[in-house]
Amino acid sequence: MPPLRFLALAALIATLLATGCAQVAPYDRGRLAHPTMTTSDLAGAGESHVRAVQEGAAGGGFEAGGGCGCN
Amino acid sequence: MQLTLRDAWVALVLLVVTTTSGTARAQPPTQLSPELPKVELRTTEPSSLSSLLWHASSEVAGYADTDHVFVLTPTLGVNVGSPTAGWSVGGRYLVDVVSAASVDIVSTASRRFEEVRHVGSVDAAYKPGRWGVAAHGAVSIEPDYQSYSGGGEVTGDFLQKNLTALVGYEHGHDIGGRTGTPFSVFSRVLDTDAIKAGVTVVFDRATIASFIADTILESGDPSKPYRYVPLFAPGTEVPRGATVDQVTRLRLSARPLEQLPLSRDRFALSARLAHRFDRATLRIDERLYTDSWGLNATTTDARFLVDFGRRVELGPHARFHAQTSVDFWQRGYVLRPGFDFPALRTGDRELGPLFAVTGGARLRLGIGRSAEPKSWILGFDWNVTSTHFLDDLYLTRRISTMGAFTLETEL
Repeated sequence: MPPLRFLALAALIATLLATGCAQVAPYDRGRLAHPTMTTSDLAGAGESHVRAVQEGAAGGGFEAGGGCGCN
Repeated sequence: MQLTLRDAWVALVLLVVTTTSGTARAQPPTQLSPELPKVELRTTEPSSLSSLLWHASSEVAGYADTDHVFVLTPTLGVNVGSPTAGWSVGGRYLVDVVSAASVDIVSTASRRFEEVRHVGSVDAAYKPGRWGVAAHGAVSIEPDYQSYSGGGEVTGDFLQKNLTALVGYEHGHDIGGRTGTPFSVFSRVLDTDAIKAGVTVVFDRATIASFIADTILESGDPSKPYRYVPLFAPGTEVPRGATVDQVTRLRLSARPLEQLPLSRDRFALSARLAHRFDRATLRIDERLYTDSWGLNATTTDARFLVDFGRRVELGPHARFHAQTSVDFWQRGYVLRPGFDFPALRTGDRELGPLFAVTGGARLRLGIGRSAEPKSWILGFDWNVTSTHFLDDLYLTRRISTMGAFTLETEL
């Protein structure tokens, strides 16, 4: 995929996601604050390393955080 | 006017920031809800030590596969931070002990090798309010390979923290050599620039989604100095999964080293959806990947984690990965008259066509006191992966298993 087409697709999806955002008040985020709802990967260091070696693809690290009502 | 890759990235980042900041301005400032009376909150200055939150973790992971590769990976990590002040710092140390007698090693008449890799990493984050910054660095050392990387991220919260945007950059500098040969005598450099931008969105009170775009630009020679590629005469039929003996019988005496392209542009679009039920969490990840070597891939990962009381969390894990080969992939490279053979060649089966299916489970046990059972957590993860190589020499299938014990505490 050419880089510009890739970036155009990424921008389109990001914009669609932004428009789908709801207004959930901080006091109503008990479920979102559960540890299993973290935006980080649940895989440990060993599992992540094995994936990186066994799969020819890369990327996808989610560290955006936020959304849980925490700082 | 011709757009460059850098221009396009700047446009993407501006689009995300403009979109999010524009919607944020439309919100009433600091108004929580029109139905609620305004309550003025006063906070006291936290004492410097009582507000600190310590998190320590250790993991021992073991890997084994049917290609006679064994890896033991102990990891130690510690993180300290102040949730009220918005900062945290952490570090992690990891050791890989690898023992391998894979078919690739056997096919080059080499003996089993054992190798130790040390990895140290540090990270720091500061997010006092809407905007946050984070930085990280890592060093990986093994006898024939050194890797150094560092980067940073900027995050911003919008729509009363219902949307978080992220922009990040990382630079990596790798030096590959040969065991027993000083890097000053033989070494290859691989530089990596990775840029990512993404958003995390709260869809409703129980659903959150993340989307992230990665661009990874690699320059340098990543070819393995141990990997020899067998050559065959024109017209030779080499069956898929041919054994070492078959390949030895069919191949020509010339066997050049692997040679990969000197640059690679990699792109990934990834999405994660997490939904919290009353006593369970469903997480689904999808990654679409493409690169300038012609490799396209899809990866789907799903977990369903169920709470059994306050102390037990258990659930299945499934993962599916499928990829095409790189453009220059061939099961058997041909040597033509005049010592003419492909300039680009590889025997790395992770660059060939394959699919992998993983099934496993995750268990977390809260072993803390009854007031806070999850102040100490004992964990166990176990996965089995069946990888199917669709156009390779030596192997058509590999079964691997990986287990990891973890112990975590928050003080």
